[in-house]
This record gives sequence, structure tokens and C-alpha cells, in this order.
Amino acid sequence: MKAKHFVWIRRISQSFFLIFFIFLLIESRLPSDIYLDYSIAITGEQNIELNYPVTFFFQLDPLIAVTSFISGHQWIKGFGWAIGIVVLTLFFGRLFCGFICPLGTIHHLMSFVRPALKGQTMVRANQKRPDHKFKYFILILLLMAAIFGLNFTGLLDPIAFLFRSLSLAIFPGLGTGIKEVFDLMAQSDIKILNYISYGGEIIVSPVFGYGYEAFKSAWLMGSIFIIILFLNRIRPRFWCRTLCPLGALLGLLARFSILKMEKYSEKCTQCQLCTKTCPGAASPIPGLEWDPTECMFCFNCFNVCPEDAVVFKLKWPPKANKAPDIGRRAVLGGLIGGASLPLFGRLDGRIHKVSDPRLIRPPGAVSENNFLKLCQRCGLCMKVCPTNAINPTLTEAGMAGFWTPNLIMLQGYCEYTCTLCGSVCPTGAIHPLSVREKIGGPIRIGSAYIVRGRCLPWAENGPCIVCEEHCPTSPKAIHLKEGTYRGGDGKTVRVKRPYVDLNTCVGCGICENKCPVRGKPAIRVMAAGESRSVKNQILLGE
Amino acid sequence: MGSHDNDPITRRESIKKLLKISQGLALTGMTAWPFQRDLAAFTGSTRQNFVIEGIGRSQKYSVKALTRKVFETAGGIQRFISKQDVVVIKPNISWARAPHLGATTHPEVLEAVIELCQEAGAKKIRIADHTIHDARRCFAITGAGMVAKKTGADLVYPRSSLMRKMKIQGHRLDVWPVFVPLVEADKVINLPVAKVHVLSDLTLGMKNWIGAVGGRRNALHQDIHMTIVDLAQFFKPTLTLVDAIRIMIHNGPSGGNASDVSVSNRLILSNDPVAADAKAADLFNFRPQDIGFIRLGSKWGLGTYELEKIHQSKVII
Repeated sequence: MKAKHFVWIRRISQSFFLIFFIFLLIESRLPSDIYLDYSIAITGEQNIELNYPVTFFFQLDPLIAVTSFISGHQWIKGFGWAIGIVVLTLFFGRLFCGFICPLGTIHHLMSFVRPALKGQTMVRANQKRPDHKFKYFILILLLMAAIFGLNFTGLLDPIAFLFRSLSLAIFPGLGTGIKEVFDLMAQSDIKILNYISYGGEIIVSPVFGYGYEAFKSAWLMGSIFIIILFLNRIRPRFWCRTLCPLGALLGLLARFSILKMEKYSEKCTQCQLCTKTCPGAASPIPGLEWDPTECMFCFNCFNVCPEDAVVFKLKWPPKANKAPDIGRRAVLGGLIGGASLPLFGRLDGRIHKVSDPRLIRPPGAVSENNFLKLCQRCGLCMKVCPTNAINPTLTEAGMAGFWTPNLIMLQGYCEYTCTLCGSVCPTGAIHPLSVREKIGGPIRIGSAYIVRGRCLPWAENGPCIVCEEHCPTSPKAIHLKEGTYRGGDGKTVRVKRPYVDLNTCVGCGICENKCPVRGKPAIRVMAAGESRSVKNQILLGE
Repeated sequence: MGSHDNDPITRRESIKKLLKISQGLALTGMTAWPFQRDLAAFTGSTRQNFVIEGIGRSQKYSVKALTRKVFETAGGIQRFISKQDVVVIKPNISWARAPHLGATTHPEVLEAVIELCQEAGAKKIRIADHTIHDARRCFAITGAGMVAKKTGADLVYPRSSLMRKMKIQGHRLDVWPVFVPLVEADKVINLPVAKVHVLSDLTLGMKNWIGAVGGRRNALHQDIHMTIVDLAQFFKPTLTLVDAIRIMIHNGPSGGNASDVSVSNRLILSNDPVAADAKAADLFNFRPQDIGFIRLGSKWGLGTYELEKIHQSKVII
């Protein structure tokens, strides 16, 4: 096999995994064509699950597996794939970065398709620089924080970062734009435009969502994503070289790789083509020592060298390659930062004193302390939620819980027999539930309370039973009591007024969602009463 | 004297036409008149109003067979559905609840009606409901999705672009967003399920039209009976078939427990939306005139709850 073939195998592999990633991302939603056999439906509650292994890339990611283990003390579902990647890296170096990582592929495309830098500027940009150590700082920071009980790996882990950015910002952003156009066409009086819009929506909505998806602070995710893409114009694969904690971890594991670069200085003409095409700034040029921790095994240098002065070879038995250049500052900074952030994160008292009353976690979420040890903030639960209730937090969960999931009942509500979020959570921060467990338990995510000053029957003597009508439990957690009341005008009327029964309320929030008093509904859900917290109970219980 | 061939209308004919028009006008003016039904029958319409109650009494009767029997008694589906018709069926599949919980139209009834329409030669059959719970989950769990797949009927996803503002011109609702497929149809069949409801007492055929509109539906409850009647006069189904195989007697309209449901094994078919609801109200031991929307529906001439005034029959299998 020639070097050219290696490059083509890499390109095919990169395309495959990028397309597969986007395919799984698109499939991370309830399809509209889920048909269940109703003869089965008659026998009991069915668990609806997705048809595809949407968490595959998260299982592939050793950083997620490792941090979940050291902070949450449990191996995540499917962590065997991550072990596979570790073994692969031990023998063959950062092949994951060059061949598999979808974010890496996007950066690769941004860097080398119409590159911003040409000639000598590109050669200069691809020199090893001290700031490449920064990724080790991030890695050590994340690992250290995980030890101290705060796992915010997902904020910077490439898989979680890419999934979150695409599924909560880029796709919904495009979807909103497209849907606005279609809605405009549908309102038109020209028949043909109506039909184009109906047909178009049938094609587009399985990809971009069935309604106007909304995610709070997604603008920030999208902006960060776009800025990081543009960093590739400064230096190729900027993220992978300088920021990526997974790249740092795999780089460390590549120390004993048996796949090595061989350089033949005598053949080299110092044309610098190898450096010019090196995305990792791994010093491929003969005369400098090759950096196995930076090399992403893209085989570009191997391919472009006109003199065959740079080749890759398998060498057995394994011998230590050049040591990674981590730097004392990165280690010290990482250790201190990683130890202090989790402790500072607890200073807002949300774990030890009182949590935000409007922080409503998805059904099956583990206790807040453990939740922060496991949640990767990847956005998968937010993406699959069929009612768009689950949103990323900004401040509701404090600094430690930034971008973790929170149910906003004004936007959606928790469907009584839906268990999708738990079934897709890659780390088990949301425990997978069966329908029976969810409604039989019952798993409460909070409880509803009536704001009598805004409620139509309470404040205005008006007729309204919407919360009671929608209440999904049986018997209903909201009931009505009819009475005769005198209004402000002196007239007496018969009115049915709603009451909440905390024994049956599960906090699903459909009452808040459907209440005709918009913006600040007259019935609201707060986290008190949530099953996952012992402290946050209201009732004495049995 | 020229030939009369070129004259479009002779004097004699024009007088005849004028008479016909005035007769028509007179009839419309008399809608509130008690003899209206007789007159309608007199004009030779096949639309003599009827209500048919189908009861499944045998041990292992099939819901499908009962549905067929009920339509047969009404004179066959061909009486109502013509070849090449676009038929839209409005079931109540608002809640993501399994069929046995009685919160939604039973899939077997839905399937039987679709098959009948197909036999009558309908060009296109659509199932349309603007659900309360997430539509995809409703389609799956109620069994409607399965029926659509089996029969090849279109299950229309209630997307926002399909809600269009229309003139309802009711007493309470003037302009309101309407789920478009339900008006872009040659024939509409209303396929509600019979349930109790805390505000309107019962959820039957006429109330099912709340599931055919968009907009601020949660505000309709502030004048529930009048808005139901406004919507019922706007949609005017060809037929109403009330699914009372299982009726929800507690905890309506969402239910959630098998114990909320009573097995009644009945289907009620009528071309009079008020009569269908009146007949179904019987099952819950309500006097029809005590239900606000039935009384108002009759008052505004949508039909009658005095069942003895229309053709009634019962079929038992």
C-alpha cells in the first residue's frame, strides 16, 4: 500500500464517522412513524425507545468513561467501546483523532479545504508552539474536578461539545428559519405555495424537528461553535492542537505506540511540504524529533513527501516514544483549578442548603450531588424530549450545573408515559425508567401549586378547568370544588375552583403548560417534592 | 316569430325557477320551525335524519362487524360516501393513552370505518386530529398509527402550517385557526369517543371539534358550550359515529386507569350531530337537554335531541 491509499482510507473513515454522527444526531428524536401494534398496546404500557444506538459516539469516548468513573463511580453503558479506543491508541496512537472524531473531521475540513494560510505562513502556523500545552491543562483540570465530585467534562469534550452545539443550536437555528418560510408559504392564498410548504415540511421536519424548537442560551452554544470553527483560519485544527482534552488524553496514551514515524534525513530536501500539511504540528520534518502525542496519524506528510523521507512503520516490541511536553504550569494549574472549581461550585449552597425551586430535573434524574458527577451536558435529553420541555440551564443550577438539563414547563411538559430522556442518557445521570416504573412509583419531578391571585376561578370567579382537564394521573391530582361566590360586582356565581392533591401530583407540568394565563401561569410546578431528593420532600409520607 | 331555441330560459321555466328559489328561501327561514324535519323529508332528500344504536351483546362479537352492521342499517356507506371522495376522519386521539383506557377512539372502530370508505371508492382517506399530547406519541400509543399503516390512510401530522385562520362566524368565535385538512374534504366523518368531562359534563361528537382547531384552545373553556356549538356548526360532518365500546365514567377526559372505564359495547351512528350526542348522553344517564352544548345545538338548529322526531333503530349482534 502506498501513502496515498492511507490518506484515502482516512478520508473515507472520516466521512463515514461524520455522516454516522450526524445521522445518529438526527435520529435522536421521536420519529413520526412509530407504529405500535395495538393488540400489544391493549395488554399494557409500552416503552417507546429509539431505533438507533444514538449514544454510540459517547460510548466510544474514553474521556467520558473515565471521568464518569472517577466522579460517579460507575462504568457507563457500553464503555467497552471506549476501552477499544484506549487499546487502539496504546498501539497505534491518536488514530481516533485522525480517523474517527467527527469534530476533528469538521476542523480538518475547515482547515484544508480552501485554507486561509498559504505557503510559508502555513509552514509557520504548523510549528510546535508552547500553547499546545494548554490542552493538558484542560485535561488535568477536568480529571481533578471529577475527583472532587464535579464532572463538567462535557463542556469541552469534543463529542459532547459537537452534539450539543449541533443539536441545540445549529440544527434548531436552521430549522426555525426553514419553518418560518414554510409557515409563510402555507398562509399564502396561492395554492401551489401551500402544497410546496406542506410537502417541504414533511421532508424537512424529521431532520429539523416538528415544531419551533427552543433552547435557552443556545445562541451562546452556537456562537462558541462558530468561533471555534473560525479558529481553524488562524491555525489548522486549532481545537485539536490546543484545546481538546480528549486529544490530550489520547496523546498521553500514544507514548508507547508501535506505529511510528521513520525519518530519513539524508533524503530530505527541506521542502517543508510535510510541515505545511501537518494538522497536528507534530514536527514531521526530518531534523526535528517527531511528537507522537501531537500526531493525529492523518498520513499527510507520508503522502506529500516527494523524496519518501517520511514514512510510517510498525515497530515491535513497543518502545517509549518521545515524552509528551506537558509542562509544569499545565500540571499545577490543572490541579489547583480542578480542585478549587468543584469546591467553589458548592459555595452557592445549592447542594448543601437549598436548591433553586425552578430547577426541575428530568424524570429518573439521580440526586443533585450525583447528577453533577455524571451529567455531561451533551444535550441528548434536550434533543429527544418530544415536548421541548428540557432546556439547558444558565443559572438555575449554579456555576457547577451550567448547561445541565432543566424542564421549562412554559415550553413543554413531561409526558406522563414518556421515558425517552432516561433511555438515551449516555452516562446514567438520568436513570433509564420503564413506563411502569415512572407512573407506578410514581417518579415525581416536582409538584404543582396554584397561584390564586392569577387563577381565573380563584381571582375572577371565571369558568376554567384546563389544569384539571389535562392532569394525567388517575385519580387526578387536581380536583375542583364547586361553590357560590360573590364577585366584585356584588353578583353571586357558581364557580368550580381547582385544588392540588400533593399525594398524587407528579409535577409533570402539563397544567402549567396549558394554563390560559400565559407567561406566568396561575398554576406552577416547583422542584419541591421531587423523588430524587430526600431533603426536598413536602409531605411526611407513609 | 323566431324559434325559441336560442332563448336560454322560457317565461314558463323562469317562473318555475323563481318559485323554487323562493321555496328554498322560505325553508331556510324556517329552520327554527318545529316542522322543519318533516319539510326536509318532504323535499325528497335522502338525508332523513336517523340515529342508529349498535350493541355488541354476544360473547365474542367483533367491533369491526358491529361497525359494519351499523352502517348497513343506515343504508350502507355508499349512501354517504361517493366514489372519488376525499374523506377526512376526525377521531379523538388527543391523549397518548393505550386503547383499553378509553380516552381515545378505539383503533378497531377507526380501522373499520376506513375500510368501509375504501370499499365505497373514496379517493383519499385522511385521519386528522390536533392532539393535546405530542402527536407522534398519540399516533403510536392510541393505535392510530398502526391503523394508518395497515389501511394506507394518511395520518396527518398537526403541524403549525396546517392551522389557518378561518371565519367560524359563530356566536362566540368569529375568526379562529382551523386544522386545514378538515375543511379541505368532500366528506367528513366525526369519530369521537364517549367520555365524561368536568366542565362540559360529557365529551362526545360536537366537543370533538375542539380537536380540529388550533390557537388558544385553552381559552375556549371560558364559554365551553357555546364554543362547542360554534365549532359544530362550522364543521358539519356527514356522519357522526360515537365510539361507546368503552366509555369513560370517571376522571375524564384523560382517564389513565382501566377502572375509570366501563364497557358498554355500543356504537352510535347518526347524520344529526345533536342526536348522536343526545343518544350517547343516555349511556351516562344524562338527560340530553341537561347538557349545555346539546341544548344549544338544538336551539341553533344543528339538529335535535328529541330522538322520537327522527328515525331511530337499534341493531344487536
